[in-house]
Amino acid sequence: MRRLRRAGELLLALLRELGDENAYRRHLAAHGRAHSREEWQRFSEEHLRAKYARAKCC
Amino acid sequence: MKLLGKLFWAAVAAGAAIGLGGIALYRGEHIDSIWLVLAAACSYATGYRFYAKFIATRVMSLNDKRATPAERLRNGHDYEPTNKWIVFGHHFAAIAGPGPLVGPVLAAQFGYLPGTLWIIIGAVLGGAVQDFVILFASMRRDGKSLGQMAREEIGKVGGFTALLTVLLIMIILLAVVGLVVVNALRGSAWGTFTIAATMPIALFMGLYLRYWRPGKVLECSAIGFVLVMASIFAGRSVAESATLAPVFTLGAMTLAIGIILYGFLASALPVWLLLAPRDYLSTFVKLGVVLMLGVGILFVRPELQLPAFTRFVDGTGPIFAGKVFPFCFITIACGAISGFHSLISSGTTPKMIAKETHAWPVGYGSMLLESFVAIMAMIAACVLQPGVYFAVNSPAGVVGATPAAAVAAITSWGFPVTVQEMTNLARDVGEQTLFYRTGGAPSLALGMAHIFARSGGGQAVIGFWYHFAIMFEALFILTIIDAGTRVGRFMLQDLLGHISPSLGRTSWMPGVIATSALVVAGWGYFLVQGVRDPLGGINSLWPLFGISNQLLAAIALCVATTILLKMHGPKFMWITCVPLAWLVTVTFTAGWQKVFSPLPAIGFLAQADKLEAGPATAATTTLIFNARLDAALCCILVVMVAAILVDSLRVWIGIIRGTRDADIAESPFVLSQLRAEEL
Repeated sequence: MRRLRRAGELLLALLRELGDENAYRRHLAAHGRAHSREEWQRFSEEHLRAKYARAKCC
Repeated sequence: MKLLGKLFWAAVAAGAAIGLGGIALYRGEHIDSIWLVLAAACSYATGYRFYAKFIATRVMSLNDKRATPAERLRNGHDYEPTNKWIVFGHHFAAIAGPGPLVGPVLAAQFGYLPGTLWIIIGAVLGGAVQDFVILFASMRRDGKSLGQMAREEIGKVGGFTALLTVLLIMIILLAVVGLVVVNALRGSAWGTFTIAATMPIALFMGLYLRYWRPGKVLECSAIGFVLVMASIFAGRSVAESATLAPVFTLGAMTLAIGIILYGFLASALPVWLLLAPRDYLSTFVKLGVVLMLGVGILFVRPELQLPAFTRFVDGTGPIFAGKVFPFCFITIACGAISGFHSLISSGTTPKMIAKETHAWPVGYGSMLLESFVAIMAMIAACVLQPGVYFAVNSPAGVVGATPAAAVAAITSWGFPVTVQEMTNLARDVGEQTLFYRTGGAPSLALGMAHIFARSGGGQAVIGFWYHFAIMFEALFILTIIDAGTRVGRFMLQDLLGHISPSLGRTSWMPGVIATSALVVAGWGYFLVQGVRDPLGGINSLWPLFGISNQLLAAIALCVATTILLKMHGPKFMWITCVPLAWLVTVTFTAGWQKVFSPLPAIGFLAQADKLEAGPATAATTTLIFNARLDAALCCILVVMVAAILVDSLRVWIGIIRGTRDADIAESPFVLSQLRAEEL
């Protein structure tokens, strides 16, 4: 049961990583800021600009 | 290794041998797809456990006491030590594109065996090794990119060639995947409506995330997924509506122009509005569908209808011309070895690796999973009746412009099919026709729908599953088009910035618009060329894409070989030199044949000469120009890689003779302080 829960947590963490939610949490922690609409907008502009400057695989 | 472990691995190795022997030796009867699954899974497990371990321990000497760049340069942004399974999933999601799905479907024209063997052997000995070594090299160099490593390890020629090759691959890739979508949606009101609906859905998601529920990406993607599923259900009503069906029943050229305009808009619009929400949605759908397909194949265990070999190994195939060697090996790139992966392995991933040994499952293991996706695509293509498979994938220019002519030609090849059979199948999946649907996507969707429908729901839901599969393919292909156009724009701005600094500024709107237009014009030209091509476009564009992708792999393997040579001398060079020698042989042979073959179906120049000998019209003049342009592009790619190969050989000989510096450019050793519970 514990292993199943751990697998579920990992899956959720993977989805959050793919969805940039983890990156946003790290951004908040690194800058010592709280979540707000403006903060998300600032983060997504910086993060997505860098993310989509890299090639996507075929 | 304990006795039980030895027995287990002996059983796995025996499973690989039995599986490979099974698929290679069965003749004259249909085989169960589980044989392919067994051969692949056991070969991957053996390769991962023994070959990758040998590389990890003896060659790379991976050391968990050595701090990775993620730990040393941690910044809460791109450098971040991350749990290895999360990095694995992230890396897999980044390398998995349409290539491993479409390539095997096209290569199935040779039968299931050549492609399957290449996917398995190519991945274990080539593709996974390339991804692993480049990831390791980048990780030991603070996450440097392939271009930077090529410049530092080989020379300036290598770095510049890598950049230019990537730009050319992007152009060809975007054109060819655009063509796959055009052929999947041509004349399909249901499919076109569903894909058109994903655009307002993505815009809604963009606004939802920006203004209403900032940061709630998973929640927003779940809503987006529900809306996309609703659009698939609504698509059937649209296709049956006398008013709406004509609006969404579009010709190939209209669809091509639509995709070109979309690519331009997506590249120029703010990234949060359209590109990012589509990307989130397509990533989640992609992972879910891959999982569903794997479970479906295991559950249904469909029989393969295509034989091990078809008569088309002799080069007379209707889908693309050329013999099994070299064309099977460039048609399937991403499922066996893909140069593009080296860009991902030297991009985000090395900056997330927490412990050096994690590079083993992430670099080597992810490629094996990608290869398994290619095996599943091969199975999905081969579960179709051969006659149906060829009727869907053959262009009118080869089999005849009417359904009656097409079934007569295909039946005469020994693959019986009737017009009635094709009409019934088209009606079942809610399409007007399934003839001449080249590009691989419709036949893959048919195979997937067959597997999903047999898993539950039966024939009654096959139309839904077909359009679900089309939506899945088109959704992430369009994401590649918009993201690729944007990346191409950045690369072009980087190059043009040396001529005019304002053109290099990504915030200068006239520069953004001009460079976006240039990139879109580049791939749009080849897309329109593919649409106009009487042989269906795939015949000329897919081999060009395969050649360019494999040539990029050759560049990556040159870099990898140089690094191994500097680390150990010539002792372990064979690890990367063997796949490199194979790729150079395959791609140079294919490149030569595509340019100089005297057969017009294969050689671009022979095709131009044949057209020139016929009556001159405006259309033939364009076709002649296009054939010569393709020949020139092919030559440029081969010459560029020949240049980097010669440059690498010069470096290698110098190192072996001791006349050249063999300093390893790795970052210095720093003791890791990272504890397991931090991950």
